[in-house]
Amino acid sequence: MQDSPVLSWKVAGLLLGLLVVLATALVKPFGVSTQYVVTDAIVLHKAAPAATESNEYLNKYGEKSDWGIGYGWMLVFGMFLGSGIAAMATKRFRQRENPAMPAMWKEQFGDHKAKRLLQAFIGGLLLLFGARLAGGCTSGHMISGISQLTVGSFLFGASIFASGILTARTLYRKRASS
Amino acid sequence: MKLLLGLAIGTAIGAVMQLGGASSYRKILGSLLLKDMTIIKLILMTIAVTTVGIYALDLVDMANMDIKPTYVLGIVIAGLIFGVGFAISGYCPGTCVLASAEGKTDAMFTLLGGLIGAALYAVVYPWLAPLISVSNFGEITLATVFHVSNGIWIAVPFSAILLLLIFRVLKDRYE
Repeated sequence: MQDSPVLSWKVAGLLLGLLVVLATALVKPFGVSTQYVVTDAIVLHKAAPAATESNEYLNKYGEKSDWGIGYGWMLVFGMFLGSGIAAMATKRFRQRENPAMPAMWKEQFGDHKAKRLLQAFIGGLLLLFGARLAGGCTSGHMISGISQLTVGSFLFGASIFASGILTARTLYRKRASS
Repeated sequence: MKLLLGLAIGTAIGAVMQLGGASSYRKILGSLLLKDMTIIKLILMTIAVTTVGIYALDLVDMANMDIKPTYVLGIVIAGLIFGVGFAISGYCPGTCVLASAEGKTDAMFTLLGGLIGAALYAVVYPWLAPLISVSNFGEITLATVFHVSNGIWIAVPFSAILLLLIFRVLKDRYE
């Protein structure tokens, strides 16, 4: 079971904060969701160069000079590596009973793998649509944005939690009322 | 060189977040159900450290800040959409990357959904432009709103309030 994280929120928060400050000193604040656009731009540019180049948004956010990867993409790729290494080093890689289903979800919704994967997929779709409309996600707006005291980032954080809490309560009705 | 730097910083960030439990569905839903405050405390602790750090760097002109524009309507709608995705998937755009690396297949579907959601946004972007131009106040921060020339004067009390909140006010509520 993954009951308690290896690092306490105090230590993890302190280290994460120092890393974001370091990134801001060396390059720029930390953000993830732009890299979804960069990835899309790379793939789509390979498949349909003309259509991709004529898309205003992909042109704006892709690494347009060479339609390749940059610092930000490598950072997100690093996050993938770091998480995998950390999970393996602490023997918590693939520790779920069913890799597709969190135990808590199964308890509430039953043993329906396809339903969970569909939910996860639609969730991802909404996450990135929202993050791109806002211009950032939990990292770019909530952490980096609020830390720069950006007004819009406070608004984004409040909106996320308002709708996130409401949705979670609806999904877990039986639990929320107890 | 810059690519390697990104890889190094990213690896450290990914490891710390994973070890801190940020990629756990149960921890994230626990936060949204207001039962388990771990992730909320982790985020607020990070913000407390980063705010003071960035504005301290700014004092010596070393902060490469990147202030996002504040377009009230568009951001609120975006946040409401994001929040639904957050609760349904149990991940965010960063933590689904972390959880995918842990071999969680549902997180891989969130990652895939994210790539398609971002592409969908690229397609409809021209029609959504009004949401970004209306009620757009530009790149404003609490420092510019309150006419404080040095952001550190807001950063320090703001971080102090966050620390008070996470160490004294927020408590886990278990069933």
